[in-house]
Amino acid sequence: MAKHPADGSDADDSPGIEGLGVVPAPSHGPVRRRIRRWRYNVPRLSQFAVEHLLLLPLGAAIALVWANTDPESYYRFTFAIAFAVNSVAMVFFFALMTKEVVEATAPNGVLHPWRRALLPVVVAIGATMVPALVHVRAVEALEEPMLAVGWPVTFATDLAVTYFVARVIFKIHPAIPFLLLLGIASDALAFLAAAVLHPARDLNLPLGAMIMAAALMVAYGVRRLRYRSFWIYMLGGGSISWAALYLSGLYPALALVPIMPFMPHAARDPGFFVDARPTARDALSQFELVWKYPVQVTLFFFGLVNAGVRLNAFEAGSWGVPIAVIVGKPIGILIAVAAALAAGLRLPSAIGWRDLIVIGLTAAIGFSIALFINDALLPPGQLRTEVGLGVLISLVAAPLAVGAAWALGVGRFAKH
Amino acid sequence: MIPAFRCIVNPVPVASPARRLYLTPLVAAAVASAALLAQAPALPNRPGTLKFAAMGDNGTGDRAQYEMAEQMAKLHATFPFDLVIMLGDNMYGGQSPADYVRKFETPYAPLLNAGVKFQASIGNHDRPEQVNYRLYNMNGQRYYTYTRANIRFLALDSNLMDKKQLDWVESTLRDAREDWKIPYFHHPLYSNAERHGASVELRVLLEPLFVKYGVNVVFSGHDHVYERIKPQKGMYYFVSGSAGQLRKGNMAPTEETAASFDQDLSFMAIEVAGSEMFFQTISRTGRTVDAGVIHRQSKPGATMPEADRWSAVDAGAQESPAGRQ
Repeated sequence: MAKHPADGSDADDSPGIEGLGVVPAPSHGPVRRRIRRWRYNVPRLSQFAVEHLLLLPLGAAIALVWANTDPESYYRFTFAIAFAVNSVAMVFFFALMTKEVVEATAPNGVLHPWRRALLPVVVAIGATMVPALVHVRAVEALEEPMLAVGWPVTFATDLAVTYFVARVIFKIHPAIPFLLLLGIASDALAFLAAAVLHPARDLNLPLGAMIMAAALMVAYGVRRLRYRSFWIYMLGGGSISWAALYLSGLYPALALVPIMPFMPHAARDPGFFVDARPTARDALSQFELVWKYPVQVTLFFFGLVNAGVRLNAFEAGSWGVPIAVIVGKPIGILIAVAAALAAGLRLPSAIGWRDLIVIGLTAAIGFSIALFINDALLPPGQLRTEVGLGVLISLVAAPLAVGAAWALGVGRFAKH
Repeated sequence: MIPAFRCIVNPVPVASPARRLYLTPLVAAAVASAALLAQAPALPNRPGTLKFAAMGDNGTGDRAQYEMAEQMAKLHATFPFDLVIMLGDNMYGGQSPADYVRKFETPYAPLLNAGVKFQASIGNHDRPEQVNYRLYNMNGQRYYTYTRANIRFLALDSNLMDKKQLDWVESTLRDAREDWKIPYFHHPLYSNAERHGASVELRVLLEPLFVKYGVNVVFSGHDHVYERIKPQKGMYYFVSGSAGQLRKGNMAPTEETAASFDQDLSFMAIEVAGSEMFFQTISRTGRTVDAGVIHRQSKPGATMPEADRWSAVDAGAQESPAGRQ
């Protein structure tokens, strides 16, 4: 977590390299030097990201133990709170994720200017389509064709976990903004795909579109009136947006995603997963300062509600998601990059094909987003359980990415 | 054909103390002789009753499935059931038109030719398109209901237990006026097989509805064994997932288990006569591995006795240590 002078911390909070908010610190003696090296090697993340890396897995671990020791009480409890967690509290998680993306469009951000995102967005098509195809073929070969319906889950990339793993491998490298952009685009496609393919719900898109238009008009009007408080955006446009998504049969947890871009934000991006200054006055930063603690609780409960899968529900088809993402993502990225290069786009100069393989494996970590898509897409039953198991197994992509980086001499393992 | 020696020991169900008197050795021998001559089936086989079979996890297309299907056809010759409820995983592996022939139409041809109607539910190994297969009689629906005699059957899709399906289950059970309410689906709410066991997630969702609206009996598959569960909240549960696949020695009976069999393939034959439901579980070799009669609950959620097991079940159940109660 990057602290600020105002917090009494010794960390510099200048924008840093590539908008990542990372700056080397001076050294004093061997112990401090060791600490400094450790802190340099282990990326400093925002409180939000750290919680994502600690509290969500903690909730998931408790869920796994609980579901496999006293499943009846686990399911009774989690079914009772699932809607409150997944459809209400998670609104603020996705809002904070969106805040990071919106700020990234500001000067110094990874999405500024927009054309910088063109290549990763093109590559995201390959990074999603190939895993989806692999998934469909894999579950067919594994004799569980019913699981094919879970293909949108393979699109997902957990930005916080992916960012952490990428920083461990690459330290400071153009691969990191590339990977973040790829992840953002892949997740956007995942939500789109899951919305289109909705096997268990009736959609009422015209009604939802009408109400959503009203929500956007409210947010736009508030912006035009130069209101600076995020509360007005959240309670006005956000509430209407929630109703729009709920009534249309889509995911109300995304209610603030279309509203966040209307909120005034800082002139420059402080960096991806860098804490907002306590003194910041812009609406986005204020939003983060207020909601980052409640989101801690949310992430814990999200893990608790969604990761509790019975291990005896494991079937061969549970391998579908891990195979799809671990094999499909690197292949899809390589194919898409080749196509993009053939079309005249250019990769950042420091990224080669070996980096792309490692990027692909890192992007295969779907975790929170994949669990959310799984929950939103599939109702309770064998299919959701098997896909959920697959998502958890896919976490093995993290050590695989590190291993691949070591084997291929990528990032910190590069042979100079 | 059911072996004659089993007919000797199972001439009639023992549903009352008075009937048990028949089973004194002399009377039993006399009845057995008559039964042997008549090749009578073990079930009451009364005219006008609903007779049906239940099988799960059958569609492998291999020799074991064919042998099991032969046993069903042999039973049909003496116990003319006209309905088979399929408990999911109706087909494994390829599911091309040729597979439908090899894994369903050919093995069950004698039954199909005799006019037996198959009513399928789908399991996790089935393709979604199966709902459109004419001979499964699902009419394009993942879940559906139908009535036979005084029984309301509900075939459910336990792969995707969405709110829409749950609402449908509730309204269907609420509106049902039949004496018996029998849901069936692939994943068991209770099971003590080691490989999968109970789908507790589904139990939490479905059981309150079953209790509220007076479901009597539930059939499932998924675990490749046979298991009869002691009454749970007034309902009888059967796992019959070994009509084509077998997980030998996979049973880990608990105090929930009333009877089980995990040494060979099996299917169930059932006869509903008024407020009694007779059942007989038959192995690939034609041996009865479990049999008994259960009595319809007087009210939803009533405390029910365990099924009255017939006085004798042949060596099938003793084959497996798991089969002993």
